[in-house]
Amino acid sequence: MRAPATRWLDPLFGRSPALAQVRRAAFLDGMRAFTPAAIATGVWALVTSVATVRMGMSAEAALAMSGLVYAGSAQLAALPLIVAGAPAWLVLLTASIVNLRFVIFSAGLHAYFRHLSLWRRLLLGYLTGDVSYLLAIRRWGSHDRAGPAGTAQIWFYLGLTAANWLVWQSMSVAGILLADRIPASWGMDFVGVLALITLVVPGLTDAPSIAGVLAASVTAILARPAPLKLAVLVAVVAGVAAAMLVELARERRTAR
Amino acid sequence: MSGLALAVVIAGLTLVTVVTRSFFLVLGDRVRLPARVRHGLRYAPACALAALILPQLVLADQRLDITWLNPRLDAGIVTIVAMVASRSMLGAMSAGMATFVLLRALF
Repeated sequence: MRAPATRWLDPLFGRSPALAQVRRAAFLDGMRAFTPAAIATGVWALVTSVATVRMGMSAEAALAMSGLVYAGSAQLAALPLIVAGAPAWLVLLTASIVNLRFVIFSAGLHAYFRHLSLWRRLLLGYLTGDVSYLLAIRRWGSHDRAGPAGTAQIWFYLGLTAANWLVWQSMSVAGILLADRIPASWGMDFVGVLALITLVVPGLTDAPSIAGVLAASVTAILARPAPLKLAVLVAVVAGVAAAMLVELARERRTAR
Repeated sequence: MSGLALAVVIAGLTLVTVVTRSFFLVLGDRVRLPARVRHGLRYAPACALAALILPQLVLADQRLDITWLNPRLDAGIVTIVAMVASRSMLGAMSAGMATFVLLRALF
């Protein structure tokens, strides 16, 4: 039994029928798991590419940015610097710092993917954004049990990140094409903010998660004057530390 | 910035994405992370999104505005409350957006 609508994906899953069935099911499951994030991702892609064109980049450059760089917040941080004619090292340094939170994410995914070939690790790493990591961890649960990911887990992750990539790229192209026709004060970027809120809230089911998100939020505001967009990284470190402290305090209390 | 310089910068930015996102993955079996660290990293993506979201709620023209008169902050709070109460993403977003449009017209 196969859905005809997704038959074009078949070559992706290999020739062994038994293996292909497992891979296909996991891949489609991953794509479905991305649905709650589709609006937020689509709106951010649109906002990012519209901003890129509006700031004077050519359509080709905007296309290369979304298609290759594939990191919205780093693109938005690099953009004003590029337009202002800042030196290349400053653009790259700023983007690196905005992206440092991904180094933290890659440590979180390390236990799952460390056994794969280098090319596969590079691909899975490249495809990992904030939202795909959030949704994968929510599905996989505690890292305490994290061992090397099985076939189903890897293909679930591929499906999730493929859906993320498709939504991001198609909406980026739409934004580049429609940049002149989308009114500036439409409040569309705010729809993206609200969509992200609805994505984060369902995960706030215990005290450590809530403490982490609160600490990260407050830190992001307090650290805002920090140079080179360091605020997000500092906020992530503070949030994770707060969550771990609350967890530790709870363990102490139950141990007593 | 010239066409060539721009191409170099975009290639560099692509490399930045690859290197940061696969940093620990590339190390492979050469590193083992302590269980407590691995466990703590579970909280990282929600923290990152919170750090990206909150400035959008409380900043207006680069100025901090934490008052009831800030439509973005009010709309954010309404969205959080509606999401907790209803568990409906579209419902919560609609409530938040309605609040934003209404308050922006009023204030």
